[in-house]
Amino acid sequence: MPLKTETFLRRAERDDLDTVVAWMEEPDFQHFLYGDPARSPKQVREQIVMMLGRSAGHTVPGAVYLMIDSKAHGPIGLLSLQNISWRNRACNIDLYIGSKHLRNRLVTGIAILRALEYCFDELNLHRVGAIIYSFNTPSWRIFEMTGAQRELTLRGHVVREGRPYDMYGYGLLRGEFEAFRERIRRSAENVSLQAMIEALAREDAEKTP
Amino acid sequence: MVTGEHAFIRAADPDDAPALHAFYGTPLPCSALLDVRREPVLATSEELRETLDHKDAMRGVFHAVEDKAGRIRGFCGLRGVNNEAAFGEVMFMLLDEADYALPLAREAMEFTARLGFERQRLHKLTAHCLEAESALRAFLMDFGFVSEGVQREVLFTQGKYHNIEVLAFFPPAGAECQPGV
Repeated sequence: MPLKTETFLRRAERDDLDTVVAWMEEPDFQHFLYGDPARSPKQVREQIVMMLGRSAGHTVPGAVYLMIDSKAHGPIGLLSLQNISWRNRACNIDLYIGSKHLRNRLVTGIAILRALEYCFDELNLHRVGAIIYSFNTPSWRIFEMTGAQRELTLRGHVVREGRPYDMYGYGLLRGEFEAFRERIRRSAENVSLQAMIEALAREDAEKTP
Repeated sequence: MVTGEHAFIRAADPDDAPALHAFYGTPLPCSALLDVRREPVLATSEELRETLDHKDAMRGVFHAVEDKAGRIRGFCGLRGVNNEAAFGEVMFMLLDEADYALPLAREAMEFTARLGFERQRLHKLTAHCLEAESALRAFLMDFGFVSEGVQREVLFTQGKYHNIEVLAFFPPAGAECQPGV
């Protein structure tokens, strides 16, 4: 059974520019991903225009930048697939949930699921890698839930507020992602609307004195 | 030029292009020559000559390793230096696998480590190894590198996927340079 949500991916457009600039200027973005707080908004804007310019429309792009959008909430976050190697069928993934009130396991999990589906099903990749800082525990925990393996522990590889932190390198192979999807499918096998209605009815009956 | 007991180490120059080109013709690519996407680069001698002629990019960071007879046995240097986190990646390659067991190799790596820790004031050097580069790996481990993990199935060549191991080398305890300071 496919997982149906209202979250979807789409190519970023010029109208998204202000949203993305605002996200990239957030301290959280620079703390958990990258960026230089000393950059002016103009420089950030120029970088984004350049990024969006080499998006998926190109024949063999080295990077793809997509918006995570939702019918209910509008633009939720930014997904970037970098260092795409068409020869090795591999890429690195960065994902940022810009709307702070949506930074929870469900929204992030669904966004990652959609991103990985895009990587494996649309781009036909074999491997998706991610570099995640050790202090970003929620992110690497969610990525591990998809079946990704922690392959690298790079000691003192990133500096934040003058302190060195470890960096983790994760890898997710196509077979591991397919096994993860199979687990989701099996867990939802016995779920039906009828069964849910009956369960609710049972709960109501139990509550009634 | 650095004159060691077993090796001469000097900044690489455009005339080294043919010797460097030999490393691009090996059946399995050298891990040190893979690009950021872990793809082998197919360079011509002329392109390598141009690259080696680019002073800002190559001078002072990429070196030829010669034996006492003046034959080029390999190359060493640093790339991808991250000044904020104070680490850099070692490029180290000898054409003949047996040379990794020679004192010449150790001298060249000691020079590269000094380049990173003393001149560039780094706190960590990294290196990459493909599974097939067993002589290089043994040499690095013997020198003091430690494994930081293996990236699985990251390079596709010769009809199958290959793993790449990441190794790290830290300066001796008590060294002054620390990241972020």
